[in-house]
Amino acid sequence: MWIPIQINELSAEPLYHQIEVQLRALIVSGQLAEGTLLPSIRELASMVKCSVITVRRVYQDLENEGLLRTRQGTGTFVAKVGDEMRDVHRRSAVIEAFESAVEAGVRVQCGEDEMREILEEILRKRREG
Amino acid sequence: MFTEETVIEVRGVVQRHKHFQLGPVELSVPKGYVTAIVGPNGSGKSSLFRLLLDLSKPDEGEMTVLGERVGGDDRQLKARIGYVPDQAIDIEDHLRAEEKAAFASMWYPGWELNRYQELLRRFEIDPSIKLGKMSKGMRRKFDIALAMAHNPELLLLDEPSSGLDPIAWKTMIDVLHRYMERGDRTVLMASHIVDEVKRLADYIVFIVHGRVLGMFEKDALLESWYALYIEAGSMMASWKTMPGYRKHEQVGAQFKVVTGDVPEAERWCAEQGLRITGRQKLELDDILTVLIEQERLRMHS
Repeated sequence: MWIPIQINELSAEPLYHQIEVQLRALIVSGQLAEGTLLPSIRELASMVKCSVITVRRVYQDLENEGLLRTRQGTGTFVAKVGDEMRDVHRRSAVIEAFESAVEAGVRVQCGEDEMREILEEILRKRREG
Repeated sequence: MFTEETVIEVRGVVQRHKHFQLGPVELSVPKGYVTAIVGPNGSGKSSLFRLLLDLSKPDEGEMTVLGERVGGDDRQLKARIGYVPDQAIDIEDHLRAEEKAAFASMWYPGWELNRYQELLRRFEIDPSIKLGKMSKGMRRKFDIALAMAHNPELLLLDEPSSGLDPIAWKTMIDVLHRYMERGDRTVLMASHIVDEVKRLADYIVFIVHGRVLGMFEKDALLESWYALYIEAGSMMASWKTMPGYRKHEQVGAQFKVVTGDVPEAERWCAEQGLRITGRQKLELDDILTVLIEQERLRMHS
């Protein structure tokens, strides 16, 4: 099974974090439905060109969050995601994206007001299509 | 480093050659993973493989493979291992592939004809050709197929992809991934092909001039080595105290400093009031280059 996870090699975010955020988003948004069998650890590792150690860590984290469950001998499945949890995660993906945008701004010494302006500008452009 | 089960243990192994000494080597290879030995030509990778298989003897030290001590009666041990040497064995040139396979099948109780034929099909090998008449790539593919046909617990691959075209290379990567799928098999491979190591390896062992420079989790390694571009202004920073410091050079008004511990290095910069203007991930070959340089300096000092 193919899973749309895109790794940004230039990003400062560690690989496991990138995979975890994207996989969480796929589950929380319902793109990966409850009961979906995920690729094996080795399979996903080869898909995103990382080690099985990284994928195991991601599966473990998401299992601890209750988003995945592992059945011995069968594999790792998407668990049932409650509405409350869905909402928490829905926001967390957005917050995450803003955080890295702010990080990029700080790196080029963008001021807070300047960043706000940029955000307003992007929102305005989007409204106007 | 590991709490996990290991399949290879190398303790204090030294092998003296005329112009070169391998070791002392300390190495533990964990079960269920792909470990890549990365190093320049002549760094001792192939010598290490030969030692593990008792094809040559160490001057000092001990090794165990799959729980058995290397150096004793190893007929049963060898049946659990698949080995692709760096060079094809030329005394077999007159044999047809199918003859070689028939011979190998007698020695390996785990030999599985269906598996062998599946591998021939996947690698598109014609078994009626004499080994000596095969192209380099075809011979390589055949050697890999042969090494895997008895479903070994441990695969030792010495530069497995040399001579393979890009399509055969992709097939090999896929075949190895599938082989590892079960989770209880182990691959130890020597390679200096960056993309190959990136796609296959879980752990990386650097070896330079016969010295093992350490074993690293691949993703963590590639995420911790960075070149930081730093504006130093009029300050004279003592770069060598930076965490993970490897080397530095001045680039115009800035300094380019290589660190193997980027989170700590960035914290250090913040404490020192140094502004980081750019960061660049180091590729595996860049890391190797830095390690070789350092090893050269160490040897001359």
